[in-house]
Amino acid sequence: MSYIPGQPVTAVVQRIEIQKIRDGDNLILGFSIGGGIDQDPSQNPFSEDKTDKGIYVTRVSEGGPAEVAGLRIGDKIMQVNGWDMTMVTHDQARKRLTKKNEDVVRLLVTRKSLEEAVRNSMMQPR
Amino acid sequence: MLTIFEVASVQDTDIQKKIDYEIRIREGACKLLAACSQRDQALEASRSLLTCNARIMAYMSELQRMKEAQVMQRVARRSSDTGANDDRHPCKGKVAISDIRIPLMWKDTEYFKNKGELHRCAVFCLLQLGGEIFDTDMVMVDRTLTDICFENTIVFNEASPNFELRLELYSCCSEEDYSAGSTPRKLASKLSSSLGRSSGKKMRAAMDPGAGCPISSAGGGATLLLPVPSVAGPKYHLLAHATLRLPHVQDNFRTHDLTITGNEECSYWLPLYGSVCCRLAAQPHCMTEQMMSGALRVKLGGDPQGWTNVYGVLKGTNLFCYHRQEDVEASVEPVLTIAINKETRIRASERDPHSKAQSICISNRYGGEEVTHTLAADTREDTQRWMEAFWQQFYDMSQWKQCCDELMKIELPSPRKPAIVTPKQGSLYHEMVIDTSDDIGTVTDILTHRIEDFDLTSGHGTTPAWMSLFDESPRSPQCPSRLSAHSPGPSPSPGRFRGRRPRSPRSPRCRRTPGLLSSEISLTSDSDSPCSTSPCSHHHGWSETPSSSSSSRFRPRTLSLDAKLTSLRGRGYSSVQRSCQMATSVAAVPRPTQTVLSSSSSTSSNSSSEGGQDAAFSRPSIARRSLRNLRAKLDPRNWLQSQV
Repeated sequence: MSYIPGQPVTAVVQRIEIQKIRDGDNLILGFSIGGGIDQDPSQNPFSEDKTDKGIYVTRVSEGGPAEVAGLRIGDKIMQVNGWDMTMVTHDQARKRLTKKNEDVVRLLVTRKSLEEAVRNSMMQPR
Repeated sequence: MLTIFEVASVQDTDIQKKIDYEIRIREGACKLLAACSQRDQALEASRSLLTCNARIMAYMSELQRMKEAQVMQRVARRSSDTGANDDRHPCKGKVAISDIRIPLMWKDTEYFKNKGELHRCAVFCLLQLGGEIFDTDMVMVDRTLTDICFENTIVFNEASPNFELRLELYSCCSEEDYSAGSTPRKLASKLSSSLGRSSGKKMRAAMDPGAGCPISSAGGGATLLLPVPSVAGPKYHLLAHATLRLPHVQDNFRTHDLTITGNEECSYWLPLYGSVCCRLAAQPHCMTEQMMSGALRVKLGGDPQGWTNVYGVLKGTNLFCYHRQEDVEASVEPVLTIAINKETRIRASERDPHSKAQSICISNRYGGEEVTHTLAADTREDTQRWMEAFWQQFYDMSQWKQCCDELMKIELPSPRKPAIVTPKQGSLYHEMVIDTSDDIGTVTDILTHRIEDFDLTSGHGTTPAWMSLFDESPRSPQCPSRLSAHSPGPSPSPGRFRGRRPRSPRSPRCRRTPGLLSSEISLTSDSDSPCSTSPCSHHHGWSETPSSSSSSRFRPRTLSLDAKLTSLRGRGYSSVQRSCQMATSVAAVPRPTQTVLSSSSSTSSNSSSEGGQDAAFSRPSIARRSLRNLRAKLDPRNWLQSQV
C-alpha cells in the first residue's frame, strides 16, 4: 500500500457496498474516517507507511451499515462511488461519503490482510 | 515702504498664524489620540503631537527673538544713527537630508536564535534646522531589523552656511497587549507578576518613564517645557540625537556619530550602534539662482579694440555671456563662459581716462596658462554693481565652502501615495478572515438541504432563479420584482454552462448527481470566480453567448473578502444564491479554499440587493457543528476524524 514515486499505486481491493440509513434528517453510514492530504500522516495509527495521506477507517460503529457491509477498522478507502480517495483532503472525503442524495455508497477498500490472503491463495496449490 | 516696525509686525503675524495653525493641529492630534483604539493610530497621533509641540516651541522662540530684536532696534535708533548695515551676509541655501539609516546592534543570540519575546519599538526622527521642523515617517523596529531606515527626504529651504541640523531619534515601546499609560498601577503590578518578570518590568518602566531612565531635554530639542496637555496614550522618548553642520555636507553618504540618551533599563531602549548614516546635501542659492545679470561688453577674439555686446548672467561658478537676453530662456549656448570660482581673480581697472566706465579683468588659470577676460559695463554704477556681485559671490563661496565646488543634487520626493503596508506573510491564506459562521461545509450542507427541500416541495412557481443555471430550458422570471433591483453585471455563468449543455440530461431540477454537477462547474471554477448571480436576468440569454467573456476576471478577492464575509455573517444563512457556487466547493481544484470562499462570498454580496427575502434558512445545529468542526480543523495538532 505504500507509494513508490513514479509507480502506479496498486492495491488489492475489496468492494463494499454500504446502504445508508436515515436517522432523522441525516443519512449515516456508521463509521469514522481519518486522514487526508491536509492532515498529518504521522498520527495515523492504522497506516503502514507513515507518509500515507490516504483516508482510513478509524472506527466502525457496531451493527451499523458499514459493519454489516463488511467494512473493518483500519481499512483504507481507495474509491467512493468511482471517486478517488487517495489524494483528497479530509473534508472532501467526508463530503464524498455524505452526499445527501445518495442512498448507497460503493467503496473500494484495501487492507493488509487482503494482500496476504491473495498471496496465500496464490501460493497454495489448488 | 514698510518701516522696520511694520516689517516686524507682518512677520509677527505670519508666525502667529503658524502658531495658531500648529495649535489647532495639536488639538486635533490630542483628540485623535484620545479617541483611537488601535495601537498604530495612537502611535501616529502621538508622533504628530510631538512634532506639533516642537514646532510651536520653535515658533514661539522665534517670536520672542523677533520681539527682542525689535526692542533692540528701537533702542539703537534712539541712541545713535545707525547707518546701513555694512556686514555682508552670505546667501541662503537649501539643505536636504535623505536616506537616514541607523544601524542596530542586537545581541547575536537575540538576532539569530530568535529567542525571547519580540520587543518592538516605534521610532521616528525629528529634524530641526533654524525654524523649520520636520519629522520622518514612523518605523516599527524589532530584533529582525539590522538597521532603522527612513526613506524620507527632508528639504530645508532657508538655511544659512552656519546652520545646525539637529536630528533627534524618538522611540516608543510598543507592546501589543496594553497601552502603557492607561493600565492602573494595581493591575500593572498584578500583571507584572503574571506576565513574567521582564515584561512586567518593562511595563512598569513604561508606565513610569521618569523613574528608570533620564530623559534629557537639553539642547535645542526642548519639547517638554510647554504645558503639554497630558493625554493618555503612547509617549515617545528621546533616544538619541546628533547635530550636523556644514562640514558634514557632502554629495554622498557619510557616517556621523549619535549621542545616545537613555539606557538599557528604559522601555524605549534600542541597541543602537552609535552612528547614523545619511546623505546631507546643500544647494546654496548662489549656485542655483542668477545672482546678477545685465548687459556687458566684452573683448573677444584677437581684436584688441573691438568690444562685443553680450548679456551676462552670473550663476553658480560661471559667468555666462549670451548673445542676447532672450537666449537665456531659450537655452541657447552662451557665447562665452567665464569661470568664477575660488581660483578666479577679478580686478577693476581704469581703462581710459576719458571714458567713464571702468573695465573688469577676470583672470583664471586653465592648466598652466593664465587667461584674462576684459569686460566693461555701460556705466560706472553698473560696473560697481557687477563688482559688488562678484565680491558677494566670492564671499558666498568662501562661506559655503565645499558646497560651491559643484552643484549637489537634491531629489525632491515626488508626491507618492503612501506605501501600502504589506503583511509579513505573503500567503493569501493569512489574509483571509475565516469567520466561524462561514464554514463552507456548512454552506454546502445547507445548500444540499435546500435543494432537497425544493425537490420535495416541487412547484414551478417557487423555483429560485438560480436553478436555471442547472437547467437547460430557459425559464420565465418567477420573481421579477425580487431581482429587478439587481444590477446585472456581465454574467459569464450562462456562457460557462453553455458548452456543457449537450452532456447533461434534461431534468427540471438539480437532480443530477452532484458528481456530475461538479464536473461541470469544477472546470469553470478556475475562471471567473465572482460568478454573478443574475441568472434570472440572463436566463433568457441562456442560449445566447454573453459578449463579454470575462476570462481574466479572476483575481483573489481577499481585500474585499472581509467586507463580503461580514455581510455573509450578517445575513446568516438566508442567501440562497450561494448554491450557484456550491458545486465549486465540491470539486477538488488546486485553489479550493480561495476560489470557493471568494466566489461564495461574492455571490452573497451580489445578492445582497435581494434583501434576503428567501425564507430564513437558519440551521443552528449545523452552525454549532460547523463551529466545532472548524476549530478542530484549524488546529494543526489534531488528526481529524469525521463520523460519516
